[in-house]
Amino acid sequence: MIDIQNVTVKFGGVVAVDDLTLKITDDVVGLIGPNGAGKTTLINAFSGFVKIHSGSIAINGLNLFELAPHQRARWGIARSFQKVQIIQDLTVEDHLAAVLDSKITGRTPREKAIRRALDFVGLSAFRHSLGAGLNPYLRRMTEIAKCLVGAPRIILLDEPCGGLSEAEASHLSNVIRSIHPEFGAQILMIDHDVELIRDVCKSTAVMDFGKLIAFGATETVLQDEVVKAAYLGR
Amino acid sequence: MNVKLLRFVLQFSLLLLIVLVLPLVVGSLWVKVATSTIIFALAASGLSVLYAQLGLVNLCQIALVGIGGWIALRLNYATELPPTFILALAGIATSLISALLALPALRIRGLYLALLTLMAAGAFQILFTAYQFPNGGDGFWGVAPQSAIAARRPLFALTDEAYLSFTAIVVALGFVLVAYHRATLPGRAWAMIKQSEASAMAAGINVVLFKLWAFALSGFLAGIAGGLLAGELGQLDARSFIAGDGILLFALAVVGGVYSWVGAVIAGLLFKFLPALFNDFGVSTDLTMIVFGAALLHAIMTAPRGIAGQLIDTINSMGVRHD
Repeated sequence: MIDIQNVTVKFGGVVAVDDLTLKITDDVVGLIGPNGAGKTTLINAFSGFVKIHSGSIAINGLNLFELAPHQRARWGIARSFQKVQIIQDLTVEDHLAAVLDSKITGRTPREKAIRRALDFVGLSAFRHSLGAGLNPYLRRMTEIAKCLVGAPRIILLDEPCGGLSEAEASHLSNVIRSIHPEFGAQILMIDHDVELIRDVCKSTAVMDFGKLIAFGATETVLQDEVVKAAYLGR
Repeated sequence: MNVKLLRFVLQFSLLLLIVLVLPLVVGSLWVKVATSTIIFALAASGLSVLYAQLGLVNLCQIALVGIGGWIALRLNYATELPPTFILALAGIATSLISALLALPALRIRGLYLALLTLMAAGAFQILFTAYQFPNGGDGFWGVAPQSAIAARRPLFALTDEAYLSFTAIVVALGFVLVAYHRATLPGRAWAMIKQSEASAMAAGINVVLFKLWAFALSGFLAGIAGGLLAGELGQLDARSFIAGDGILLFALAVVGGVYSWVGAVIAGLLFKFLPALFNDFGVSTDLTMIVFGAALLHAIMTAPRGIAGQLIDTINSMGVRHD
């Protein structure tokens, strides 16, 4: 369970996340809101990349602020970025190996973890391809595979379907939907694609101007008049 | 022919050439020049690690070579330890000093890091000039007004020719160490950090540790280079470790190419062999600066992976044609 209590993040005079409280128990949860609503800032707070002004975030009872950013990752917080972080001269396998380096040492369990993640996202054929040779879709899938190796507990996905074609996004949404049953990780996903959120997320939180304006079952939230006004432009 | 095999055969032949043939065919002066060349190639390979793997500019490598040399000389005169053991100790101690110096540098990069390392190099230049290098004297600094006792060399490398072979083997081991780092866990971590520190942290990589590790490795190679230099020359002079040479070695490492050991060897050749060659031809060694300037322009404009990158591309394209 993710327990966010009164979290405030400030950048100088700008309040990016404003006294946000949220308890998340569902397996796959969406986080939506207009540009600048504070969504990415919130998951950056999970990762430890921004300093929290006040409040706390606890996952399964563990207070995240006791851990440095890399320790949070080792504990089991995996994430993808809006801008895909693929290294030109590393192979797909090496990208996954870099994540495993701090988590699993034995050769056999490492190999097993890499093969399982690559098979799951459908990248086995590209295992030895260099980052430079991957198209945007394969790069995105490599990022997802990076999130899956090393027993993740929480996966934070920041606009995973951004820039993908309809067919690619559809495959990715299938993959995301299967992550929890296969790997057991809870997923918090930011995306602007309302259809994707509706398709994949059991519940959804909506942010605007740093505040939580709605949270609940996805279908109910998307019908909410306040949400429509803030996000869907009505 | 298989490209990897061709590359391996070429690299191994070059090593054999240096270890076995070079000492036999060149005159005594050139044996010394060749030894210095590969010693500074090792120091340049340390710079390459920082620049190629992490994008960090280090202008105090020559100062670290000096520190390695100082430690090696101090231990050489103060103890009866075998010179090869002293060499290892000089490398380890210099790597620790390098990592320590890097602590304030962890949060900065680019021009500011370059300036910080240049200032450190300047500070060491002053220290070297003020206290000189140990030459068999008493006390902590070990400097005697006049001393003719040269530092001990390993018993199997007493002659200049044997010392060149010994140096070539040590330098080759240093290159192997760098290649191993690049291909394994630290290499992956450095690549992630260079791409984005946030992305590296999100992958569980301890950014501080791996940056310090890179500085420590670079310092280790500089320290070994310093220890080898002390053994080669017998004694060291503060004038050999001026801050400006740190800038020059960095520029030449870029010209040579920072992504492979071949680039480091080219940097060593430009740094030590070319001036000796000009001297032999009776041409002013100052002219090397013009050559270096032109080579740097060439590297910046047309060869981002340095001369080594161009050479390797040529060899690879030959390999492809033969496949």
